[in-house]
Amino acid sequence: MTSISFRGIRKTFGSTVALEALDLELQPGELVSLLGPSGCGKTTALRIAAGFEIPDNGIVSLGDNDITRTSAHRRNMGMVFQSYSLFPNLTVAQNVEFGLRNRKVEKVKRNSRVGEMLELVQLSDLGKRYPHQLSGGQQQRVALARALAVQPEVLLLDEPLSALDAKVRATLRDEIRRIQTELKTTTLFVTHDQDEALAISDRIGVMSNGRLEQLGTPEDVYLRPASPFVARFVGSINELPNVNGSGQILVRPEDVTISVDENELTMRGTVTRVTFQGPVKIISVRVDVVDQLINVHAASGSVHTEVGDRVSVAVAPGRGIIEAA
Amino acid sequence: MAVVKNLLGKSGPKIVILVTSIFFLLPLLAMTRFAFQNIGVFDLSWSKAFDKWTFGIVTKPFEDQYFTDSLYLSFKIAIGTAALTLGLLIPTAIWVHLRVPKARVLVEFMTVLPYVIPAIALVAGIVVIKPHARWFLNSDLSLIPFYTVLALPFTYRAIDSGLRAIELRTLVDASRNLGAGWMRTMSKVIVPNLRSAIISATFLTVAVALGEFTIANVLLKQTFPPFINEYRMREPRAGYALAVLSLLFTIFIFGLLSVALRSPSTKSHQNSPKSRELS
Amino acid sequence: MAWIGLVPFFAFLTLFLFIPAFSVFSQAVRGADGKFTLGPLRKGISGQNLEAFKFSIKFSAGAAFVGVLFGTLLAYAAVITKRPKWLRSLIASFSGVAANMGGLTLAFAFVSLLGRQGVLTKILAALGWDLYSGNFGLGEIPGLITVYSYFNIPLMVLVTIPAIDGLRSSWREACANLGGTTWTYWRRIGLPVLAPSIMGGFLLLFTNSFSAFATARVLTDNSKIVPLRIGFFLGGDLSVGEDSIGYSLAAWMIIVMAVCMWLYWILRRRAEKWQS
Repeated sequence: MTSISFRGIRKTFGSTVALEALDLELQPGELVSLLGPSGCGKTTALRIAAGFEIPDNGIVSLGDNDITRTSAHRRNMGMVFQSYSLFPNLTVAQNVEFGLRNRKVEKVKRNSRVGEMLELVQLSDLGKRYPHQLSGGQQQRVALARALAVQPEVLLLDEPLSALDAKVRATLRDEIRRIQTELKTTTLFVTHDQDEALAISDRIGVMSNGRLEQLGTPEDVYLRPASPFVARFVGSINELPNVNGSGQILVRPEDVTISVDENELTMRGTVTRVTFQGPVKIISVRVDVVDQLINVHAASGSVHTEVGDRVSVAVAPGRGIIEAA
Repeated sequence: MAVVKNLLGKSGPKIVILVTSIFFLLPLLAMTRFAFQNIGVFDLSWSKAFDKWTFGIVTKPFEDQYFTDSLYLSFKIAIGTAALTLGLLIPTAIWVHLRVPKARVLVEFMTVLPYVIPAIALVAGIVVIKPHARWFLNSDLSLIPFYTVLALPFTYRAIDSGLRAIELRTLVDASRNLGAGWMRTMSKVIVPNLRSAIISATFLTVAVALGEFTIANVLLKQTFPPFINEYRMREPRAGYALAVLSLLFTIFIFGLLSVALRSPSTKSHQNSPKSRELS
Repeated sequence: MAWIGLVPFFAFLTLFLFIPAFSVFSQAVRGADGKFTLGPLRKGISGQNLEAFKFSIKFSAGAAFVGVLFGTLLAYAAVITKRPKWLRSLIASFSGVAANMGGLTLAFAFVSLLGRQGVLTKILAALGWDLYSGNFGLGEIPGLITVYSYFNIPLMVLVTIPAIDGLRSSWREACANLGGTTWTYWRRIGLPVLAPSIMGGFLLLFTNSFSAFATARVLTDNSKIVPLRIGFFLGGDLSVGEDSIGYSLAAWMIIVMAVCMWLYWILRRRAEKWQS
């Protein structure tokens, strides 16, 4: 269990700034996700941690050691790539033991470790298969086993679930979290999928344009977004004019109150659609004052409205984030 | 990949490319020199390196009565071969894709067979048949089907790749669903989408047909390559000049081919450095 | 019954490929009296004919080896050199042209370079090295290997570039991540994955060199080159029965080609399995 930190990391590619000045520290044993759209710098940060890119400025440290310039094959990290990273000419078992062989571990120890790892990812019977004989989900499990076999100090995951089917994604996501907590491996997880990040992270770093917009727990990031970008990227958002000032207020559908009465603090609008979703229903309202459509989540049993009804909506007290004009 | 070293070291690749470039240029330069510089090798010296270069030699072949005839014949055969190739392979490949996918392996295997029966062996077999098929083999154009066979491995692969790259089944279903018959579907939907495959296949057939020597030579047909071979024994410099010109012609056609094949859509490569740098 | 659509294709191949090929074999087992005999086939690989096969196999293997070596290096160099960007296209295009150049033009070019009256021959003589003092000849093994490399190397480049492209960068990175050096990568992953393609390339170049007729015809009269030998038998003025030798040579040649292509087929299937 080791900590890993980025201090002042800056990286440019030609004229593009991939990372401005990244400061991030992962505590031993925690799982931090880097979440953001394509081009935000999350993968660059990961590759710098792995040693596949060298930053222009800044320091990467593993524990107390500066590893900024250590070559990739000497960092004791495990990495799982997005897809197709298993060596096609080696069996599953040979893939998993690859790192152990490089460290000159003797055969008996290797075999037992491989067995352990395959059991950890629940693929014990597939040791003699070749990668092309496995499904996408199975391949990623093997990749995970291979990365963990050498007991790395840090585990790096580069969008490991993006190439998989939705169903497999959910199962494997929970598997990864289970294994990570069991082994207490410090883990950096890169993804563009907010559901993944929210589900498994101890903390989430939301990134945009090379900058870390917010670093916090899933609740922090969801309930108390630090910037309009974070508010929009994580979860869904409505935009309403700021009745108490200038600019607009960004508010989540479940933070909007809706009723039939009217008072001077609420906005009037017309219901355009009601979508029943089981526990919750989504009421779409066209707000008069800005002719904008907003979505309101309401518990199924409450608020009976129909298309065409006039309603009042308001931001629940203390909710929402203000975005300057 | 920024930090992972390549096998040949920093300057290795450049050296390899440089050395092989020299190897590939030298014979061409030598041939050009022989054709266009009016100095025999015996009299050649460094001081005379740039003397007596004349390009007038290119007119000489026109004085020979067989020149235009043989060139014309070769072009006819080339066009015929291209037509036969496309006319035979496009429907066959489509049939395999749409109706008999199980035949795919067999058909692919058969298109590799011409490798097993190289030109010299093929023509040996033709010589055996000759007495029985004189009426056919007497015509110069009888080379056409045999050239089609020679080009088969390359041309079938080109067309097959082209078909695999388009969603053939879906396009055909959509077209028939919208009321088009087979002829229309072929001409308006399938063939236009096979443009680059057709161009490649045509280029390959034309190259084979224009450059084929073995079969033509043994069967005593007066196509262009046998003509050049015989001509250069009578008029060495002019013959070599023709060879240089035919090479330039090949390069020119290849250049056209590359331009014609440049597709407007760019395929993003999963491993290209650019796509990773930015995420 | 959908196979009926393939009839034109099969009929075409039967007429213009299978029947000639079959005829070669049928003539190769025909004695002077027209009756079936294995005599010509036996003669086809004995004595001078056997020498010819040995010679052809030797120089074809040599030419294939040189082609594989330099072709692979050049393909690797082309893929790895990212700057200038057009370099790789240029190499691929040039390879396309050179591989399709035609045997005659190639032979002419080398005669004018390294023939007895060749430019380079003269330059080397001026520098003190008489090329033709020993056994050198464009129709002998060193000469043939040099000339045939001209189309073998580009052919290998065309076949190998896709194979090298198929080496995913994630394998390289995963290997480094797991503690492997550049050497480890090539030894345990890179070369093993490329091996079927490289060996397939060797077979391709071998068959290409073995069966080449036009180039050899212009370069030399050497009757130890099997295709030329067949050509002599076909064109010559021979007594009845002797021409069977020519056909038996052709038959044996087809057999050699068939063995090579069968191996090539197996290797290609293996390579494709790993590239998925």
